[in-house]
Amino acid sequence: MKFLAWLIAAALILCVAGIATPSLVHAQPVPTAERPAGQGGDAPHAIVTKTHPHDDIVESSGKGMAVLFWIFAAASIAGALFVVTRRNLIAAVMGMVGSFVGIAAVYMMLYAQFLAVIQMLVYAGAIMVLFVFVIMILNRPEDEPVAPTGRLGQVIGGAAILYLVARLAMILINVALPNKAVALASPAPIMLPGWGTVAAEPVGWGTVKAVGNDLFGPGLFPFEAISILLLVAVVGAIAIARPLHPDDGTDADPGIHP
Amino acid sequence: MNDLLFDVGYGHFLVLAAVLFLIGVAGVLIRRNALIILMSVELMLNAANMTLLTFSRMWGDQGALSAHTFALIVIGVAAAEASVGLAIVVAVFRGRRNVDVDKLTTLRH
Repeated sequence: MKFLAWLIAAALILCVAGIATPSLVHAQPVPTAERPAGQGGDAPHAIVTKTHPHDDIVESSGKGMAVLFWIFAAASIAGALFVVTRRNLIAAVMGMVGSFVGIAAVYMMLYAQFLAVIQMLVYAGAIMVLFVFVIMILNRPEDEPVAPTGRLGQVIGGAAILYLVARLAMILINVALPNKAVALASPAPIMLPGWGTVAAEPVGWGTVKAVGNDLFGPGLFPFEAISILLLVAVVGAIAIARPLHPDDGTDADPGIHP
Repeated sequence: MNDLLFDVGYGHFLVLAAVLFLIGVAGVLIRRNALIILMSVELMLNAANMTLLTFSRMWGDQGALSAHTFALIVIGVAAAEASVGLAIVVAVFRGRRNVDVDKLTTLRH
């Protein structure tokens, strides 16, 4: 019953995100700097002065935007707390999915539309399904007391958490908000390997086109490295999770016991 | 107070990411189930991604590689990490019948 409530909540959040999206996407906030003619290829370091695209306030400071932000922030934090506190693993996974949906909506508010969709597809779609599969394989939904540590461990852990909170708070206090009149360097020209320099064309912010231009331009090497990493991860996962002796069935790897 | 509630700025997103990160840290520290620990790690990676995107939005993309691409790569690494971690959990469970990280002390001696 609890799972059902969480599913309904997640669907509700998704609906609200869908309603909210067009008005958020509409206002394209970043004016792309026009590159002066004749400076396309040979002057990549030319500074084109442009006013900073955005103010302190992310967008539109409207009350609707604020209300949506608080709703999604509350959803993501509540889901995260659900993960940490629940004993039931399936309930924890459902809280995680709700948290990911909220995080995806927050990405949308940051104009990272492509990342928001990827977040939903990869995290809420693929990784969480993987978790559910493993939980079903293990077939032990209820177990585990929380934190059976001694007094010393609690003291050390509390001190570490307090230190981390203090450092994070200091960093957040010292964040320098960009001045509105700051002049930024123009976006770097896109280098395609073997194709010379292509002048950066104005692209939207956070769209598939922008991310794709970046990913297959300067980010080509990390992209290929990620593909190899994923291949290695797949092979490694199969090699680790496979029983050592296929005839034994699923029981008792002799290699693990001391 | 009204400003804090209705003028959603970058600070709100940064604080949200920090809160999510701290919840992930708390999950890693207080839970003993390996699956929950993996999920908490995913939560921390998401918080880091949110910080990246917020700073990208704040400063614009100035370098060669935009924060969106970087966040995408982080998601790919997180997927690889989750798959290998879950495979290790399955392998450990097959041998020992539990995934309590406090009871996995064979390598300690």
